[in-house]
Amino acid sequence: MKKVLCILTVLFQLASFSQNKEVLYNFTSIPQSSLVNPGADVSYKFYFGIPALSGVSANIGSKSFSAYDLFANNGVDFNDKVRRIVNRSSNNDKTQINQQLELFSGGFRVGGEESKSYVSFGVYQEFDFLMYFPKDIGVLALDGNRDYIGKLFNLRDVNLRAEVLSVFHIGFHKKVNEKLVLGGRAKIYSSGANATSTKNSGYIYTGKDAGTANVYNQIISSDLELKTSGIASFTKDEYEGSIAGDIAHNTFFNGSLGLGFDAGITYYFKENLQFTASVVDVGFIKQSKDIETLTYKGYYEYEGVNPIFSDTNEPENVFDDFEKAIPRDTLYNKYTTWRPVKFYSSMQYSFGEYRSDADCNCKGKVGRRYLNSVGGQLFLMTMPRAPFTAFTVFYKRSILEKLDIKATYTFDSFSKKNIGLGVAGTIGKFNIYALVDNVLEYKDVTKANSLAFQFGLNFVFQDSED
Amino acid sequence: MGLYLKNKIFLFAFFPLLFISCSSDLDFDQVDDLKLKPVFVANVAHFDVPANEFTDNGQEQLIAFDEKEFDVFKKKFFTDNLVKLELDCETENTIARAFTIDLLLFNENDDVLETITLETPAYSGNPDVIKHTTEIFEGQRLDLLKQTVKIGFVVTMGSGAPLDENSQGSLKLQSGATAYLEIE
Repeated sequence: MKKVLCILTVLFQLASFSQNKEVLYNFTSIPQSSLVNPGADVSYKFYFGIPALSGVSANIGSKSFSAYDLFANNGVDFNDKVRRIVNRSSNNDKTQINQQLELFSGGFRVGGEESKSYVSFGVYQEFDFLMYFPKDIGVLALDGNRDYIGKLFNLRDVNLRAEVLSVFHIGFHKKVNEKLVLGGRAKIYSSGANATSTKNSGYIYTGKDAGTANVYNQIISSDLELKTSGIASFTKDEYEGSIAGDIAHNTFFNGSLGLGFDAGITYYFKENLQFTASVVDVGFIKQSKDIETLTYKGYYEYEGVNPIFSDTNEPENVFDDFEKAIPRDTLYNKYTTWRPVKFYSSMQYSFGEYRSDADCNCKGKVGRRYLNSVGGQLFLMTMPRAPFTAFTVFYKRSILEKLDIKATYTFDSFSKKNIGLGVAGTIGKFNIYALVDNVLEYKDVTKANSLAFQFGLNFVFQDSED
Repeated sequence: MGLYLKNKIFLFAFFPLLFISCSSDLDFDQVDDLKLKPVFVANVAHFDVPANEFTDNGQEQLIAFDEKEFDVFKKKFFTDNLVKLELDCETENTIARAFTIDLLLFNENDDVLETITLETPAYSGNPDVIKHTTEIFEGQRLDLLKQTVKIGFVVTMGSGAPLDENSQGSLKLQSGATAYLEIE
């Protein structure tokens, strides 16, 4: 338990929230920006990422509490902290973790020197976790039902999904003309472990008739379902092995397979007025390896024991009745999960023409470059309940010919003051970038409700450097 | 622009982030302090016996008996976490005879661990719900409850005018428990 918490805190230090990569989006001096928009206006002769270091990102977001709220060494009783968090949270509060690690990536231009068609490819590993805060279950566990006569404890509050997967992808984008860039990316997903419990319903109810002191009307109506893939064998007694090692192996070599695609566009209304849009991870995984589904479905009304004096009868057990009414069933059906679909869009206005102080580059026509860009971005992501929405305004500036910064200000359900900063530079052929989110929270990361961090190293080769 | 200057700019860009990032002192051992103390209420037992059930072929039955399996508190969850239980019983008698209700808790060997006696006077024309003293199970008494596998009900009728198949009224029992848990 402690280990898990330590790892989570380390992730906290490195990371931010949902999968919105608002700093990376349309930051085209970073080749990885084509992972959030395959139609991004990225150009290179060829590039490759430094294996395992080309794209490292982690995001953590937790609406209802921060690490500080729970673990601050401030003398407040831990149980009081838990109670405070449960009381002030809502069942729509989300805790999200997303982590990605690019194992390798690369890209090259296809066709001759005049061509503006590019291929990019790679493999990355991803971990995804989303849980809604199970408020009613929390209240029931903390307080019991005595002080909540008449309340329905909603089992729908149990809502989570988690997945470890690897993604093999290949993309193509083409600058069709001076105004339009189109791109797409095909993906093969290989899921090493999946747990999905997002369609629960039912309630636990205790009622009482007016005027009676001791007769309760107690009902449990349950429609709970937990689907797992790649996990069941770890829960068996005879399992002897390393769970982390086996999940890693399954993720890359023995996973449940799926297919998906990304698509994107960049369009210049004018040379300095640009529109982009992309849709990422439209795809599914057919969960088929080591699958196990647990269900608790049924209706049980508990009245207590009721002796019958008039005839002899077999003593029955109320607890057995419960197990009969709401049995635990195990099913072995394959199931399909849909990847969370992400949608991005941006509008960007550029100004302040760049004047090169370098020697004249006389190799043909050079497009105009601008020093500054401002604009807005929209992010949407599908979730088990309402979609997640974020709106970002940004400012981008080229400090030097090959050093760009981007600052963002994002509004979303986690934070109304999420400031992000990104730097991307190229020294020779060596491209390095670092993006952080929620800069204000770095004053004390333990108090952050969401943090994101992303960095990477690439080698990028352009024509002009030949 | 020399490499040197570019490197400098990187340093300027990155180092502040390292320095402004701090963290408060956290103590993860607090997880060990977690202790949930929920309080649950639930029905225990109930019956509603009409007067004519105390007769058999016109003959009065002075004693009625039944038993039910009741091993809920023997389950590991409760033996580990139940720290106190209050049992509340209510009776309502509309039969013109007094009754004694004995609740017997049995262990696996059919030994009686505990007897709870509820006295109900004969009906005299005014409905009367009797709330009996709360039985509190703590300490040793609670340990006995955690060995219980069966609950027996013995209803003994007091003397009075004989009952027959047409006798009016009924004897009602309602009981509920308040369970105090401490889950670590």
